[in-house]
Amino acid sequence: MLGTPAILPERGIGDRLTALFWRRPRVLLALLLIPPLVWLGVVYLGSLVALLLQSFYSIDEFSGVVKQEFTLKTYAELFRAQNLDIILRTVLMAALVTLASAIIAFPIAYYAARFARGRWKAVFYLGVMLPLWSSYLVKVYAWKLILAREGILTWIADHAGAGPLLARALDEQWFGGASLSTSPVGTFIVFVYIWMPYMILPMQAALERVPATMLEASADLGASRAQTFRSVILPLALPGIVAGSIFTFSLTLGDYIIPQIIGNSARFIGLAVYQFQGTAGNLPLAAAFAVVPIMIMLVYLGIARRMGAFDAL
Amino acid sequence: MTPAVEFNAVSRHFGTVKAVDGVDLTIAEGAFFAMLGPSGSGKTTCLRLISGFEKPTAGGIRIFGQDVGAVPPNRRNVNTVFQDYALFPHMTVRDNVAYGLMVKGVDRRSRLEKAEELLALVKLPGYGERKPGQLSGGQRQRVALARALINEPRVLLLDEPLGALDLKLREAMQDELKALQKRLGITFVFVTHDQHEALSMADSLAVFNDGRIAQIGTPEDVYSRPQTRFVADFVGSSNVLPPELTAALGGPSKWASLRPEAVRLVPMGHDGTVKTVRYLGAGSRVVLEIGGTEIAAMVPAGQPIPETGAQAAIAFDPRALHVMAE
Repeated sequence: MLGTPAILPERGIGDRLTALFWRRPRVLLALLLIPPLVWLGVVYLGSLVALLLQSFYSIDEFSGVVKQEFTLKTYAELFRAQNLDIILRTVLMAALVTLASAIIAFPIAYYAARFARGRWKAVFYLGVMLPLWSSYLVKVYAWKLILAREGILTWIADHAGAGPLLARALDEQWFGGASLSTSPVGTFIVFVYIWMPYMILPMQAALERVPATMLEASADLGASRAQTFRSVILPLALPGIVAGSIFTFSLTLGDYIIPQIIGNSARFIGLAVYQFQGTAGNLPLAAAFAVVPIMIMLVYLGIARRMGAFDAL
Repeated sequence: MTPAVEFNAVSRHFGTVKAVDGVDLTIAEGAFFAMLGPSGSGKTTCLRLISGFEKPTAGGIRIFGQDVGAVPPNRRNVNTVFQDYALFPHMTVRDNVAYGLMVKGVDRRSRLEKAEELLALVKLPGYGERKPGQLSGGQRQRVALARALINEPRVLLLDEPLGALDLKLREAMQDELKALQKRLGITFVFVTHDQHEALSMADSLAVFNDGRIAQIGTPEDVYSRPQTRFVADFVGSSNVLPPELTAALGGPSKWASLRPEAVRLVPMGHDGTVKTVRYLGAGSRVVLEIGGTEIAAMVPAGQPIPETGAQAAIAFDPRALHVMAE
């Protein structure tokens, strides 16, 4: 159009800011980054450092007062049989929960990524997210009822003729108990249930990014379904599986509510931290216990990296 | 001789969409066969029917005389160069190429040796250690080609193999693919929407339209003697003349096709108005309107070009007028 100006007039503060950000792109970047950096740097990392410091202090066994001197004594205490027990139990539980979550989540995530379209995709997201909308405590207590001796699982087992089998399993000293709700098996089931969405969602996102032609190329070159799964799908979905497992693994490592409500009151790391900083008043040992999951996660990520989990990122 | 691929009244319907509809097709062994057509014409679905990624809803497919109705893709000795190449991003180029041998259980040393051989064949020796992400489009395509050839397939399928390459690379690859096919003697079947590519590379081709084959023959056949208006228009954009105009220009009263390069502009003759002039480098394409029909003429470089809106007349050798069945 002839007659319109070559440069349009400024329309106020919005245009002035746009012009500023165009001339100096770094200003916008700084404005965007400063609040989260303050949060991350001061509030988050700061408290983490404070926690680390605490773990290098020790407690006076007679007076119960924290001695603010640098020592590794508290860490040495972690290796006492009863404390080591807690750590090993927690790591084993976290590993089993992660493994079970991955195995159960995979078909669901695969279906959602490859086959679900339109309405079914919405149903999938709703189904996976719905449990996250209700209170964690309510869900755990609901599971206590489900797993109770009079609960529906035992009832189903009895009516399906698997009652004796369940009773035999619960007799097992290693993971059994008076009922499912007071046995480690119960703890395991509830952990898997509660953390499942955190495994499904990243897995589904990773699987969605594997192009369908990749799978066709594999079949085209002569691979069976199992070979395609092993050589193409699994390596390409690995970042998602690792991301999901970081959630399930670290959440299990730190949780202190589920083992309190469901299970045989054997202690887990989270519960130990809770008790040492609370009733026992041993803040240094609680801090040392809290460092354990961090170290375990670092080792875990190191292994995942070695396995090439992040190569495709 | 048994044909490499045979379609017998093959259909592939997706609900109400007839992607492929009653196609009969025979591809001879050792042929360089092109499936040409606009997008959505069913050519890619036909390719996927050969590789086994689509199942026919009706009809039968034979590969070297054997019915493949119940044979899954991984057991067909047919390999594909995918349009997006579909290289495995987490594997090195060498492992990508060797993949077909790996899944067959060939030991690591011999399969990597063979992969190196094939990389040399596609002129990428020494690229084995790289990841596909570090290669250019043209290099990726060569890797995809090497990977598809390592199993020594009886038929090689290529889905728009040159579509993503720039013009110069595309022309070089055309010659190379042709030479490679001659050397290996494998039947090549390739899908393209580019008529120049189909005409210059294939030794026979099928033109697809709406899920059916409009014409099948040698490039010369299809180009010079189109059987339908669609083929005339799509393959090399011939002028399509309605019966009245054919008669007015001295032919029979039938649909006819006339190649733009056969049309000359002359001072006197059948009058028309110049609608558009498009400069193409080697010449100019001048479109005239004559009796309500647009007729294109190729004017070689160096000859006078009329202005848009000017009056002009055309002349042509009557033998260039090709009468069509419909």
